[in-house]
Amino acid sequence: MGVAFVAHCVLNQNSKVGDGAICAGVYSPIIDVLREKGWRIEQMPCPELAFAGLNRFWAVREQYDTAAYRRHCARLATAVADVVALRVERGEDVVLIGVEGSPSMGVTITSSDPQRGGRPEWPDGTPEHVSGEGIFVEELRRELSNRGIGFPKVVGQTNAIPGHDEAAQRAAVESALSGIDG
Amino acid sequence: MKRDDRSFRVALVADQYVNPQPGGVDAVAAAAQAGWGVIQLPADDYPAAVARRLLFEVAEQAEEFARHGYDLVLVGRRNGLASALGRVGIGLPDRITPESFVALVEFLSGRPSPEALRMAGPAAG
Repeated sequence: MGVAFVAHCVLNQNSKVGDGAICAGVYSPIIDVLREKGWRIEQMPCPELAFAGLNRFWAVREQYDTAAYRRHCARLATAVADVVALRVERGEDVVLIGVEGSPSMGVTITSSDPQRGGRPEWPDGTPEHVSGEGIFVEELRRELSNRGIGFPKVVGQTNAIPGHDEAAQRAAVESALSGIDG
Repeated sequence: MKRDDRSFRVALVADQYVNPQPGGVDAVAAAAQAGWGVIQLPADDYPAAVARRLLFEVAEQAEEFARHGYDLVLVGRRNGLASALGRVGIGLPDRITPESFVALVEFLSGRPSPEALRMAGPAAG
C-alpha cells in the first residue's frame, strides 16, 4: 500500500491564510488522484494554523523563520515522523504532498524575500517565489534524517503558483505515485 | 480581510472514514459534497504515544477553529480525543456515526450556520 502524507489544507481549506481558501473545504483535484490510485491518506497538521492563527496573512519564509516557529514545526515534525516511521516499517511506500510557494509547506518552491516586512502582494505579486523547501518541510527532513529514514518523494499542490494548471498538477501527482502500487 | 471560499465548517473525522474499506462510508467525499473541511483523527491501530501526539495537534487546531466560531462536528469516534480537546478547554462536538454516505451528507448539510460565517458576511465576488 502507498501512503500519501498530505498538507493539512488539501483536506481543509478552512486552515488557509485569510483570502487564501480556493474552495469550501476539501481540495478534490489531489484527493481524486489518490483515491483513483488506491493510496491511503495521512493528513499532516498545518504548521501555521495553531501558531499564527486564522487571521494570519500570507508571509514569506523570513517572516516565519524564528526560533519559536522552528520549535513548533519540529514538534509537529516529530508527530508526523512517528507515522512515517510506522508506515516505512510496514513496508509501505510514502509520498509527501506539500503546497508549492508556501513558506512552511513548500516542497520544491517556497517564498523568500529578506526585505519583506509587511503584507506581501498576493496573489498578483510573486517575486518571492524561489526554489526551496518550507520551514516545516525542512524540520521534517531533519527529523526523518535523525531517525535514519530517507526523505520521501515529494509533489506539491500548485494553485498558488503563477501559471497553475490543474491538468499539469494532476500529472505531477500521478508521476510521484507512478511505479508505486497504491 | 475579505472573504474567500472557505465554509467555516470543519469535521473531525475518524480514520476509518478518511480511508474507508471497500463499501465503507467515504467522509472525505461527503465533506467535499457538503462543503466541509476535514481534520483526520489518528488510525485506531497506532501506538498510544503516537496517537497522543497526533491528538494533541488535532486539539490545538480544533481550538483555533472553535475560538473563531467555526462549526465543528465529529464523524465516528476516537479514543483519547475527548481528553485532548478537554485539555484545550473544548468539549466533544456534535457527533455522527454515519450509516451511509447520504446520511453523512444530510447531517453535514443540515447543520446551522456557523457563527463565523455570520460574522464574515457575504462572500466576495
